[in-house]
Amino acid sequence: MGTEPGTNGGGASRQPPPRDERSDPRSARPGSFPGAFPIGPAISFLRRFRKGLDSGSDLPVALGEAGSALPRELRDALDRLLKRLAGDYVEDEWGFDEEFADALLPFLEFLYDRWWRVETIGARNVPSHGRAMLVANHAGVLPWDATMISVGLLREHPLPRYARFLVLDWAFQLPYVSVAMRKVGGVVASPYNALRLLEQDELVAVFPEGAKGAGKPFKERYRLERFGRGGFVEIALRTGAPIVPVAVVGSEEIYPKVGEAPALARLIGAPYFPLTPTFPLLGPLGFVPLPSKWRIEFGEPIETARFGPEAAEDRSFVFELSEQVREAIQNKVYENLVERGSAFL
Amino acid sequence: MGTEIARRLETDPEIDYLAGLDERPPRARLERMDFIEADIRNPVIAKLIPQAEVDTIVHNKIIRRPGPGMSGRSAHDINVIGSLQLLAACEKAETLRSIVVRGSAGVYGSEPSAPQFFTEEMARRYPLRTRFQRDVAEIENYFDTFSRRHPQVVCTMLRYQPSIGPALNSQITRLLSQPIVPTYLGFDPRLQFVHELDAVDALVAAIKNPVRGPVNVAAPGTIGLTKLVRMAGKPTLPLLPGLFGPVTDSTQRLGIESLSADFRRLLRFGRGIDITRLVEEVGYMPRFTTVQAVEDYVRTQRGRRLVPVFREAVAS
Repeated sequence: MGTEPGTNGGGASRQPPPRDERSDPRSARPGSFPGAFPIGPAISFLRRFRKGLDSGSDLPVALGEAGSALPRELRDALDRLLKRLAGDYVEDEWGFDEEFADALLPFLEFLYDRWWRVETIGARNVPSHGRAMLVANHAGVLPWDATMISVGLLREHPLPRYARFLVLDWAFQLPYVSVAMRKVGGVVASPYNALRLLEQDELVAVFPEGAKGAGKPFKERYRLERFGRGGFVEIALRTGAPIVPVAVVGSEEIYPKVGEAPALARLIGAPYFPLTPTFPLLGPLGFVPLPSKWRIEFGEPIETARFGPEAAEDRSFVFELSEQVREAIQNKVYENLVERGSAFL
Repeated sequence: MGTEIARRLETDPEIDYLAGLDERPPRARLERMDFIEADIRNPVIAKLIPQAEVDTIVHNKIIRRPGPGMSGRSAHDINVIGSLQLLAACEKAETLRSIVVRGSAGVYGSEPSAPQFFTEEMARRYPLRTRFQRDVAEIENYFDTFSRRHPQVVCTMLRYQPSIGPALNSQITRLLSQPIVPTYLGFDPRLQFVHELDAVDALVAAIKNPVRGPVNVAAPGTIGLTKLVRMAGKPTLPLLPGLFGPVTDSTQRLGIESLSADFRRLLRFGRGIDITRLVEEVGYMPRFTTVQAVEDYVRTQRGRRLVPVFREAVAS
């Protein structure tokens, strides 16, 4: 997945080029300010377009030829856009669209660097190739924690790769949300999907707490819910994928959930309908997450291959291992809570 | 497609005798095939089929969408009653060793919360929502019961994803040949097809190597609807879910295709199937991936596609 061994080991190789130019004010040319309308090129574009039409070219051809008057970056961006409009982009069999995911990165990196000031620890514990399962605690109503785990890996891992997330089925009934989810690597949370992805040697991220975790009230923050029926352990055992426990701290404060409206949840078919100090009171503003301070720690991987796939049949062993993973994550969560100190500063 | 299958089977030296049964004669001349003109719903086939003394029967008469001048009712009749009559005939055919049915992956339905790839044992996990889906499920049931009662006969139920290809006239090709393609606002489902050549060859492979039970037939990989429509160079008309049915139904009067309930769900939620069983047990690997099948179809379509022309001009 676009990994380049041997590039500068800092993980910065992953950053898309446009970001560097835009975020660095020094790169702006003297005499121009960002967002200035390029009058010169626009005029010569129109002139060439007119000339093309006069000489009898068709509209798209004339437009295209006039395009050569535009600056290089604009032409590249235009070409990328046209490529996508012609259907010339790659989606894998799951509908994952790496170009689309890359395009979202600048926004997510802003949240990562500025908004939540995320500190990522132990990214090297994630295997750089082959199958593996990330198991994380889940909080914060909307799955921002999943995006930050992803960005953390892309930024801090020497051989970055995109993780595939198991997403609550409800998201796939929704317009736009369903499309965005699958394009950034989300799949329906089904054991069949997890098995298939791991057999394809992908990195799969799961939140065994599920909707219970994301929707827990603010006063129960950082206390991990029950890990379902341990299905994720069964899948890891069956495919021999190592389990990497991931502790996320900071996600609980982004939307402090103080209440619930079950009637509204039933009405829209959602697993829960949260009430926070800002939602739904402030309308769409309520979607803006609070700028808490985050820490993400990737723990030591737990090898499962040595138990063999038969171990997946052993209920008590599965529960035991599931509990062991839960405890590992819970301990890391507490440690990082202490490390972080104040929630917002 | 029946003619195409017959033509492929005719050239096969391992087949000594070939007969075809339909209510209208084949479109092309076939040299070796004996043609029997009969309606599959007519009980007379229970006399005709055993007389042919064949060892394999291929059932290709499952109507995916009632054509012009055919009611939903008569499509249902052909599908269900036809299959029952065929099985009644099979009961009497003592030489019979295998039955291969060209069924449909429509039996899985299109479900937002379903696994991204259905395997053969995942049918009937969700409610049967459309008439076609119920028909296919019923037909599968009949053949399943038959094969349990007659263990000497191997019954292969091929579950096909929609076919696509230059020579084909199917729901998806008709949709793409319209001037404007209706879509569900905010949905971009994963679709999976099978190329028309692979559709025939997979059937032939299953005739030669029949395996018991259901087998998924599709090209590897999937394609998003948006990508598909853009490759075909057509504009879309995104419609709110509540308006999709009424709008596509009303355009029917303007000569634009209306869409079956089944197909509408497919355009909203999509469907992928797993083809491990086809590859490993039947031993057939499709030559086209889903994207290649679409490319092959698009290449033959007429009309100027604005975006690529524009792109070439930009690049030059």
